[in-house]
Amino acid sequence: MASRFTFTKGTPQYRNYRIGVWALIIAIFLLIGFAFVDVGSISIGSNKYNLSLIRLNKAIAYGVAILGLQVVIGYTGQIALGQSFFFGMGAYISAWLVADHSWPFLLTLLIVVPSCFLVGMLCGLPALRIKGLYLALLTFGLAALFPTLIKLDSLYDYTGGANGKLTGYKFKAPSWLPLDEIAQGLQTIPLLGSFFGDGPLSSREESRLWKYILFAIVAGICFWLISNLIKSRPGRAMRAIRDNETSAAVSGINLAATKTISFGIASALGGIGGTIYVAEVGIASPDDFSSLVAIYLIVGLVVGGVGTLEGAVIGGLVYALIPDWASSTQSIAFVPERWLQGPTGSLILGILLIVLTLFMPGGIATAINKAKGRFVSIKAANSDKNSESVAQNS
Amino acid sequence: MDLFLQRLFDGLTNGSAYALIAVALVLIFKATTLVNFAQGEQAMLGAFIVLQLWNWGLPMWVAVIVGMLISGIIAAGLERTFIRRFDPADHLPLVIITLGLFLVLNAVAAIVWRYDPLAFPQLFPHGSAITIGNARLSWYSIFAFGSCILVLLLLHVLLNRTKIGLSFRAVSSNLESSRLCGIKVGPTLQFGWALAAAAGTFGASIYAANPVLQIEPSIMLRALIFSITAAALGGLDSLWGALLGGLTIGFIQSVLVQYIPFIPNEMTLTATVVVLLIVLTLRPSGFLGTKTVERV
Repeated sequence: MASRFTFTKGTPQYRNYRIGVWALIIAIFLLIGFAFVDVGSISIGSNKYNLSLIRLNKAIAYGVAILGLQVVIGYTGQIALGQSFFFGMGAYISAWLVADHSWPFLLTLLIVVPSCFLVGMLCGLPALRIKGLYLALLTFGLAALFPTLIKLDSLYDYTGGANGKLTGYKFKAPSWLPLDEIAQGLQTIPLLGSFFGDGPLSSREESRLWKYILFAIVAGICFWLISNLIKSRPGRAMRAIRDNETSAAVSGINLAATKTISFGIASALGGIGGTIYVAEVGIASPDDFSSLVAIYLIVGLVVGGVGTLEGAVIGGLVYALIPDWASSTQSIAFVPERWLQGPTGSLILGILLIVLTLFMPGGIATAINKAKGRFVSIKAANSDKNSESVAQNS
Repeated sequence: MDLFLQRLFDGLTNGSAYALIAVALVLIFKATTLVNFAQGEQAMLGAFIVLQLWNWGLPMWVAVIVGMLISGIIAAGLERTFIRRFDPADHLPLVIITLGLFLVLNAVAAIVWRYDPLAFPQLFPHGSAITIGNARLSWYSIFAFGSCILVLLLLHVLLNRTKIGLSFRAVSSNLESSRLCGIKVGPTLQFGWALAAAAGTFGASIYAANPVLQIEPSIMLRALIFSITAAALGGLDSLWGALLGGLTIGFIQSVLVQYIPFIPNEMTLTATVVVLLIVLTLRPSGFLGTKTVERV
């Protein structure tokens, strides 16, 4: 398959290409933010589909949690199903610190990350003896027990029991950020301006937009760190364990340390996702972190693509949007209403999970990468030299 | 003393129900070394089919048997379409498929029967059979335990005394060799799935027939965790281990948690998971399971 464009790593053209792609992604990201800050719904037929920033912010939260699953399932190959436990743990620690000790939200990450990391490592310890299915059983149990732990009477003062814990925290955009001016500027663009609403941003819209940008920066840092981790020595050790545990051990990889650390990192990311989630929603309630959430996160992982970083982004979007859109679909021709009123979202996610595992094991990310490969191909640096030396040897 | 007896009886009741679902899990694990996360939902769906048949006027035990047959056929179909094409040694896709089935079956049941709790036919006579002081052992508990033993005996005979049971055991012991001996591996595994689903449906029917319970789509969510723990506790490949594990979990729930003061009442689930953790760490093969030896 010949591609239209070929770039070689290490050349200035390649660098420009990378910068261009990232600039495009950031620009689209910001434009979406400004476009959907106020209206945010698409109408198809008589159904209205919301695409507001609230959902996109949730998608960012889920995306970070799924990134954690990528580390432990996608790259280390340990079947851990309990991500909702750490998602909830991060959410509750943040909510507690913000509500009762009036910490600023982002600072709570200083507590959330280490504590989730430690608890995750502790949960990873049995993984040294327990493998495959047994691990899946245990972590599933962990996910199931989280809501009951939260509802304990003795923890009521910290967690608010079944009612949930309100954070009561308002995000306020810093005054140096010209969000309002940019919005107004975008509205003056001929033809397209109407997509960006009209009039100045209300304080609510401004804070929503600020949250969107802030969460994206936090998530971006997580993705950047993990992408570096995967390419580095510990990351290669993780992938070696995934591919063949025995040969990894023979190659001198410390199985115990690598596995527990990957559990710890995954849990810390789950915690960060939980913090973002509760920062968006404003309340941590026990049912938001049930074992069903753990399964939905797995759906996001699989639909996005196991073992790809882009998969986590796509998975977050899938989890945040599909159940929501399914429940806002009130009428489709030829489908009886009964099928639209029940838990249609969970039905669709389940079907997606099965269909993708059967027919597209790489998930959406792999399909996109394949399609991209038709247009752009990237060669490794010095690939010509290598092929020459191979030719000489043979 | 009365209280203790009563709790013991409660443990017996719950334990028998968990054991029946655990038996289904064990059957599938024996066949395919896979833990079927959708087992609870399959059983729930089966119980709903039983309820529907009963509503249509079938006598209740006929409804149970027909329901078991139907859910067995559904399970055989599921095995053929979704499970057989995967490599049994690669756990991740299989776990994901069963999680997908879990979501789909749960949603379908909720769409068809809604979330309102429905009354399930009373399979057993009312009232208490034995009264010791204030402790009552209800007929339901006796029959639940009895039918649990009955199912296990039947399965024991089926697996150890019949031809199909022999081929089932051959497949679960060594898939490749049994294929070489001319055993049709696929249909045998399919049979295992059908058998498991039928056992699960029976278990869910017994569970839902509890006079204090009503049936609704999420009835098995909690029970699944207890049953999985029961199966793992007894050893995932041992039928009688499932009974032992189920009763242990039942007693942990009703006796142990009640008598240890620092564990609050709502902690049964946590206590169960902790027990699971301890057992898996110290003795991964459970009480009665066969130890796996890995060759490198």
